[in-house]
Amino acid sequence: MVEPKDYDSDFENKWCPGCGNFPIQKAMKQAFAELDIPPQKILFVSGIGQAGKTPHFMQGNMFHCLHGRALPVATGAKIANHDLNIVVNSGDGDCYGEGGNHFLAAIRRNIDITLLVHNNQVYGLTKGQASPTSALGMVTKIQKHGVTSSPFNPLATALGSGAGFVARGFSGDTDQLVKLIKAAMNYKGLALVDILQPCLSFNKINTHQWYKDRVYDIKAAGHDSSDLAKAIVLSLEWGDKIPTGLFYEKESASFHSRVGVLQEQTLISYQFDGEKTAAAF
Amino acid sequence: MRTDITVKIGGEAGQGIQTIGTLLAEVCHSAGFFTFSIDDFESRIRGGHSFNLLRISNEPLVAPGHIPDILVAIDQRTMSLNKANLLSDSLVILNAESESGAEIDENSCSDADLEGCTSNNILKISLNRLAKEAGGLITANTVAAGSIFAVLGTPFEMLEGLLIKKFKAKGEKIINLNITAAKMGYEAAGNLRYNKQLDWKPTKTDRIVIGGAKAAGLGALASDCRFFPFYPMSPATGVIASVVPYSGKLPIVVEQAEDEIAAVNMAIGASFAGVRSMTSTSGGGFCLMTEGLGIAAMTETPLVIVDSQRPGPATGLPTRTAQPDLLFVINASQDDFPRFVLAPGNPAETFESVKKAFYLSEKYQVPAIVMLDQFLATSQVTQQNFFKVDKDVERFIFNQEDLKTSQYSTALDYKRYEITDSGISPRALPCMGDIMVRATGNEHNEKGQISEDATNKINMTNKRNSKLEAMKKEMDLPEISYPKGADKQFFLTGWGSSKGPIVEACQILQEKGINVGYIIFKDIWPMNSDAVKPLIENKKFIMVEQNSNCQMGKLITQETGISYYSSILKIDGRPFYPQYIVDKTLDIIG
Repeated sequence: MVEPKDYDSDFENKWCPGCGNFPIQKAMKQAFAELDIPPQKILFVSGIGQAGKTPHFMQGNMFHCLHGRALPVATGAKIANHDLNIVVNSGDGDCYGEGGNHFLAAIRRNIDITLLVHNNQVYGLTKGQASPTSALGMVTKIQKHGVTSSPFNPLATALGSGAGFVARGFSGDTDQLVKLIKAAMNYKGLALVDILQPCLSFNKINTHQWYKDRVYDIKAAGHDSSDLAKAIVLSLEWGDKIPTGLFYEKESASFHSRVGVLQEQTLISYQFDGEKTAAAF
Repeated sequence: MRTDITVKIGGEAGQGIQTIGTLLAEVCHSAGFFTFSIDDFESRIRGGHSFNLLRISNEPLVAPGHIPDILVAIDQRTMSLNKANLLSDSLVILNAESESGAEIDENSCSDADLEGCTSNNILKISLNRLAKEAGGLITANTVAAGSIFAVLGTPFEMLEGLLIKKFKAKGEKIINLNITAAKMGYEAAGNLRYNKQLDWKPTKTDRIVIGGAKAAGLGALASDCRFFPFYPMSPATGVIASVVPYSGKLPIVVEQAEDEIAAVNMAIGASFAGVRSMTSTSGGGFCLMTEGLGIAAMTETPLVIVDSQRPGPATGLPTRTAQPDLLFVINASQDDFPRFVLAPGNPAETFESVKKAFYLSEKYQVPAIVMLDQFLATSQVTQQNFFKVDKDVERFIFNQEDLKTSQYSTALDYKRYEITDSGISPRALPCMGDIMVRATGNEHNEKGQISEDATNKINMTNKRNSKLEAMKKEMDLPEISYPKGADKQFFLTGWGSSKGPIVEACQILQEKGINVGYIIFKDIWPMNSDAVKPLIENKKFIMVEQNSNCQMGKLITQETGISYYSSILKIDGRPFYPQYIVDKTLDIIG
C-alpha cells in the first residue's frame, strides 16, 4: 500500500511558513496514497510560480517547465504515453494569465490530465503584483490605484468551454480537497480543480479567515454535479458566499480515445519497423 | 546531347496553374526526364499573379529555369509581364479571346496584349471555349496542358495514360472528360512544335519528383518520429502535411496546436516521455518557439525543429523565399547552449539531414534545427530514389534494466544530470520503472533539483557546453569543388538551398573558361573551425546568400577569423537563378 509519506522528499522546502501550498501538497499526497499510486508512477508537470515548485518538494517524476507552458508539455507527454498519470501544478498567473490560451485548448482537447490550479489571487513569486483572479480595485505595489481589470472566472470559462470536470477546493479544507483530487484523477479527461489558497506574504485581503468566512460545500447544500445550468449559476457566485466542491462532472471522450492510433495502444509502445516504414513510402 | 526546356505557365491564383505544372512534370517523369519546378504565388487564394516555372531536361537538374522557352499565358498579366523578355525562338501559348459565343473569359488576351512581344511563335487558343466544347469549363487546365504537350512533341498516348491514372478514383466519366479536353488542346496546336525537342518514350527509372517539405516529412518518419505538433505557417505547413497521408499506415499523431509555443512545448513533453517528435515552422513561428528551445536545452530534452525560412521581418513575404534566419537560429533563446543547425541543399539531402538531426539530437540531448526555405520546401525536383530507411533507430535511452550494470546501486541513486566526461548524462524516461526522472528549467543539480549554488552553476554550464567538441566532429565538412588551376581562385560560397544554383553557376562560368569553384556548407553548427579553416584559407570566397547582411560570411569570419572577398546577396524573395549568380560573379571578378 502506498502511504502519503512515500511522497515525502528531504529537499529543502522554499515556501513561506503558513503558505496555502502546504495543505494542498498534503492533500495531494493523501489522495495519491488512497488511490494507491506510487511516486514512481506519477508525472508532475508544473509551470512557474510558487505552485510550480510543488513537485520539487515531493517524490515523483517531474518536468518543471516554463511559465504558462505546463499544459502543452503535459499534453505532449500524455499523447506520447497515455498510461502516464499526469498531474499539473499551476497557479492563477501561470494557468489563467501566461498560459490562458493553453488552458482553453486543453479543455477543448479533453486531454486526460489532472489540473490543479493553486489560486491565491496574487503573484507570489514576483512579490505581490495582481493576478488574473485579483479582485477589481485590489491595491498592490504596482497596481497602486487598484486593479483595473475584472477578475477572470476560471470555473465559468471552463464550464462554458465544454469542460467535463470542474471543481473548486480550498486549502483550508483538506478533507474535501482529497476527495476532489481523487475524483479528478479518476476522471478520464481534463479535470480542473481550482484551489483557493491564501498568500500570507502578499494578499492581505483574501486571507485564510476571509475564505473561511465565505466558503460552503455545494454537495452538502444539495448540488447535483450533473446539472450544467446549475453549475454555471454556481460558478458565478462570488462574494459573501463562495461555493466549493464538484461543480460539474460529465463523461466525455478524452483526447487519446478520439485519436485512432491511440485507441489501440500507447504511442510509445509501438515498435519501429524500418521495413514497414519503407514500404509505406 | 543535352536538351533543356523551360516552360512558364502564368495566371491568377485559382486558375489551376499548379495543377497544369504538376501534370506536366508527371508526364515528363514518365518519360524518364528530369524536372525542376517552382511555384511562384502571392499570399492569396484567388486572383493576383502566379506562375509555375518548369524546367525539363534529359540530364539531371540542380536549379530552376528562368527565361521561358515556352510561355503559357492564361491571363493578360502574364503576357504583359513576360512579352518583352522572351527569346526570339520562344513559343507562346496564349489564352485568346473567344470569337464564338462561348462563355467569356475576362482574363483572356486580345491582340493588343501582344504588342511588344519578342517572340513570333504564337499559338492563340480560347481555353474556355474549348473546355466548354469538351464538356465543362472545369477542364480549361487540361486543354492548356494538351496544347503544351503538343508543342513539346509528347505523344498523346503518354498524356492519355497519365490522365487515366490520375483520375482513376473519380470514375470513367471524369477520365473521358479530361481526355477529350486534352485532345482538343492538343489538336488546337496543329503542327506547331517548339524547336528543341526531347525524345519522348515511356521510361521507368528509380527516380522520384519531390520537394524539400515532403523529404523532411519522410526523413522524420524514417527516424521513427511519431508526434508532429505544429501551428500552420507558410512555407512550413507542407512538412507536416506531407506526413498526414501516412497516419493510417504508421503510428503517428499530427496535432494542430493552439500556437507555436504550444507546438514546441508539446514536442518537448512527448520527447521527455520518450516519443520522437518534430515541429515545423517559419521564422515568425520560430520566434515564438525560442523559449521552448531554451527549456529543451536546459532540461537536455531532444527536440527537432524544421525552420522553413521566408523573408521578414514580421509577416514579411509569406509565400516567398529567403535565408534570413541563420544567425537567429544559431543564437535564439537567452544565454548559451549547444545545438545543431543543419541546412540541406536539395530534397535528397533534406531527407538525410532530418534523419541526422534526430540521431544527433537524441545522442547529445540537445535541440537540432533543420533549415529549409520556401524555395527548397516547395520546389519539385527529380531526385534519385534516396529513401534509405534503417532497419532500426538508435535511441540512447537509459532503461530500467541498465540500472543493474550501472554506477547506481539503487534507482534512487539515479542522476539525470550526472556530470560525465562527455557532458552527456543517462537519459531515462518517466514512469518506466523505479527510476524517477526529474527535469527543470531552473538551474539544477545532478539530480534535477533546483540549485542556486555557485559552483554547481559553473559545473552544469560546463557540463552542457562540454558536449560541443564531440558535436563539432559530427559535422560534415563543407563540400568543395576546385576548379582547374591554382587554388588561389574564386570560390562561390553558400549554404542550404542555394547549393544547386551555385553549382550550376560554376559550371556555366567554367564553360566560359572562368575558373571558379564552390564551397557549400550543409552541416553548419557547431562549426568545426579547426577543420574548416584550412579548407578555406588562402582562397577568395564570394558569399552567395539570400539575406541582406551576409550571415554565413559573418559566421565564417567569427569562427575562423577569415574574411570573405565579396558577396552576392539576393533579397527580393525570389530564388537564385544560376545566370543571376553568373552575372554578379562576373561583375565582381571583372
